[in-house]
Amino acid sequence: MPQVQANGLSFHVQVLKTNDADDSPRPKVVMLHGLVIDNLSSWYYTIAPAVALHADVYLIDLRGHGRSDMPTTGYTVEDNVDDLVALLDHWGIDEPVHLFGNSFGGVVSLALAHRHPERVASLFLVEAHFAVEGWGEHMAGSLALAAFGLDEDAVQNWLAENADRKLSRLAKRAERFLLETSLIDDLQAEQPIGWLAEITCPTFALYGSESDILDRARELENKVAGCELEIVADCTHSLLTEQAALVRDRALTWIDRVG
Amino acid sequence: MSDAPPSTESVLAELERILVEVVGDDLLLDGPITLETSFDADLQLESIEFVALSEQLLITYGEQVDFVTWLAGMELDDIIALTVGDVVGFVVASLQG
Repeated sequence: MPQVQANGLSFHVQVLKTNDADDSPRPKVVMLHGLVIDNLSSWYYTIAPAVALHADVYLIDLRGHGRSDMPTTGYTVEDNVDDLVALLDHWGIDEPVHLFGNSFGGVVSLALAHRHPERVASLFLVEAHFAVEGWGEHMAGSLALAAFGLDEDAVQNWLAENADRKLSRLAKRAERFLLETSLIDDLQAEQPIGWLAEITCPTFALYGSESDILDRARELENKVAGCELEIVADCTHSLLTEQAALVRDRALTWIDRVG
Repeated sequence: MSDAPPSTESVLAELERILVEVVGDDLLLDGPITLETSFDADLQLESIEFVALSEQLLITYGEQVDFVTWLAGMELDDIIALTVGDVVGFVVASLQG
């Protein structure tokens, strides 16, 4: 199990490189996943292997997720950016990387591009979340509701009787994450970001036409100079898994252009 | 490793050993793992556990077993439908060169 020590925690990572006889330098792509029940496997199962035929792909389980450590505190966007910087340093990557962010991974990607523009070559965003007015309260509220539900005896009993092994494990982990860490409080404290217009790297953004955060798509298009936006018909916030082939196609085209 | 490529039986045994290491031995409560066993429907493997499994196989058998290129040719539904036999067959075929 590749565990990497960075920023005081143990992170589960996967580095995908294919057996390519060609030794020419390849672009470096770092992929960041979404919140709570997500982990690096959502990239691994969808587009990461195909992208790895053309680039070195670094997959990370963000803190609290997958097989990485789950500290009790430290779940702000900035904490995640600190982790990312520490991991890039661990790998000795000082050239700019192409950041792929899905959902919450999108806000971490944007925040790194803002704080360390010299380390980011481009952004490829899928259903990227970022803090607008009321975002912290909204996210915290949704998660608190989920946590409340998971804590209910009735829900636990239902899970015990009906859920398969996989669902039970996911629910248990999510419950621990939501109830025993500062995740909800940390998200609640996030302030709307006022620096989107300062993002200068090439940016491609994909959103589903039925997404509940479609307003972010328009805001990115309006504020990030040169942001290319594509709205995919009949897709929700789960665009990555609903249209994996389309996202993969766009990702390969993107790396070919900017890599 | 010896020069002779490992047999289907030995790769199956190794895969079972790795699965128990990754997931825990309650995995075997429903009976032994066979080539027909499905990772998703039968074993209820979490996707992150499948990632760990493929990596351990890579460590065991070396870079000749190129999972990344193999998976790059699959859609999400194909990966979810994988059986133990699919993975064992891929490993054996890779090592036969």
